[in-house]
Amino acid sequence: MSFLKSFPPPGPAEGLLRQQPDTEAVLNGKGLGTGTLYIAESRLSWLDGSGLGFSLEYPTISLHALSRDRSDCLGEHLYVMVNAKFEEESKEPVADEEEEDSDDDVEPITEFRFVPSDKSALEAMFTAMCECQALHPDPEDEDSDDYDGEEYDVEAHGQGDIPTFYTYEEGLSHLTAEGQATLERLEGMLSQSVSSQYNMAGVRTEDSIRDYEDGMEVDTTPTVAGQFEDADVDH
Amino acid sequence: MSLVGKDVVVELKNDLSICGTLHSVDQYLNIKLTDISVTDPEKYPHMLSVKNCFIRGSVVRYVQLPADEVDTQLLQDAARKEALQQKQ
Repeated sequence: MSFLKSFPPPGPAEGLLRQQPDTEAVLNGKGLGTGTLYIAESRLSWLDGSGLGFSLEYPTISLHALSRDRSDCLGEHLYVMVNAKFEEESKEPVADEEEEDSDDDVEPITEFRFVPSDKSALEAMFTAMCECQALHPDPEDEDSDDYDGEEYDVEAHGQGDIPTFYTYEEGLSHLTAEGQATLERLEGMLSQSVSSQYNMAGVRTEDSIRDYEDGMEVDTTPTVAGQFEDADVDH
Repeated sequence: MSLVGKDVVVELKNDLSICGTLHSVDQYLNIKLTDISVTDPEKYPHMLSVKNCFIRGSVVRYVQLPADEVDTQLLQDAARKEALQQKQ
């Protein structure tokens, strides 16, 4: 197999989770021999007795599964589907972007099967691969919805179609002379109407007016009938 | 509303469709199915004997959900809400 190459077996530095010796590797139905399967956080690797082998990157692994069919000629094994092509002639697995032949529109699929002599290890191998896959999610898109709980600052992003709210200071500075006059008149009317009367529960007292009044909050329901009859007509 | 334990069909970007019982899903939409069957066994004969599988979220094109197990009104409302939140 020309795509097999020699490399040192993965160790703790690569986040080795599990190594399974005496494991046969089968590529698209073709046996590659017996070796050791290394399930590491960085990649999945297999090396035969002579130190030759290959590695698979988790983002290229479409799915992995346990085959429990004992009547299968291989027996129980770990099935791995890879989104890449392994050419007999070329040295490296070719990812679909690098494909030069005619099936550009078809995604390449390679099926690997790893057959350990110790069948009881299969569950652990499957689980280890699940854990490693979860460590290699695809890079996030721009419009990803994983927003990590940070608040979206509307004012900072300045989106035009979202209504932004004036702060008190900003609002005052935007007032024309006429607007300022209206504001003063309304404020005057408010403080007059309240101070002259009631001490019923629910009606704002002078103290609470001071608490609430920021110049921007105008109670639209008149506390005194006819309160706004002398208001200028606004065109 | 959870579909764990219900049968779903996962269609992958490589056109493979896998029917199985939904076991679990994680935040990356990696999907674990049990008792799977492949809708096109001639194409992938090696998967015939597979019972449990783990599908990488990024290779999923569609997940077909059983219509009578899904509250479509609830789903639409939730999706609209999320879309609005994303715009803001």
